[in-house]
Amino acid sequence: MIDDEMLDRQLREAAPYIDDDGFTARVVANLPVAQREPRWLRAMILLGLAILGSGIAYLLSGGFIRQGMIQLANFPIWLLLVFAFGCGLVVGAFAIIFALRKTPEVRDFTRLEF
Amino acid sequence: MELTDADLIARVLSDDDQHAFGELVRRHQSSVRGLLRQLTRTDVSLADDLAQEAFIRAYKNIRSFRGEARFSTWLYRIAYNCFREDARKRKELVGVDEELLQAEHDPQTVDPGLRHDLMHALNLLPLHERTAIVLCCQNGLSHDEAARVLDIPLGTVKTNVLRGREKLKRTLAAWGPN
Repeated sequence: MIDDEMLDRQLREAAPYIDDDGFTARVVANLPVAQREPRWLRAMILLGLAILGSGIAYLLSGGFIRQGMIQLANFPIWLLLVFAFGCGLVVGAFAIIFALRKTPEVRDFTRLEF
Repeated sequence: MELTDADLIARVLSDDDQHAFGELVRRHQSSVRGLLRQLTRTDVSLADDLAQEAFIRAYKNIRSFRGEARFSTWLYRIAYNCFREDARKRKELVGVDEELLQAEHDPQTVDPGLRHDLMHALNLLPLHERTAIVLCCQNGLSHDEAARVLDIPLGTVKTNVLRGREKLKRTLAAWGPN
């Protein structure tokens, strides 16, 4: 009498691998077309909202932003460069984190075991 | 480095990447088509049509895949639902298995040339036992995963696997070495 393990092994071995033979291509050809808005439209909407938000913030600040800009212009040039560099670092760090989260190939490096 | 199923699913979700979905189809087509061939009793044409329908349905509903189960388990569930819906339409689900179960005990219906063919013995099992055996023993799903695929209680799956195994063992033992 054969045991469960032997029976399962024979069942697995009895099931042949089925060659693709064009099956995947047929499935992909029959997939529904994605209904998404074009990338340029999304970019324009984001840009428009950013400009609108900046405009509203400027108007609501009651001249505070303009005064700040004038004060900033009186700062020494090296301080402005340090400020710009710091801003760049912060934005760059966020961009790298976002890219790592969105890109599987890069994320795979974090799974490597040394 | 080969991308995991989760990576490919993430690409489909973020960019509607059909090439990524194609890779998922290529990876799982054999097991899904194999399962459906067993369910349809080796009707290759029908099984492949159902497999195609299952993959297209998976693509349309991929946002509902929450990653709690393996992707293959989720695919099996969709494939099994496609099979059930088709069987209902064809009115084949009721009655057929009982006939073949009786045929199992009729020695004249067993082709002597297929005595050592395990797949033939598997095809003689009733649908619910055959499905449980194919999922658990052939495709390596746990009883719990099979219960989710078939949408039946865990105890029923265990019973079906046990009964199916016993029948296969009896059949194979009866064949015996020549």
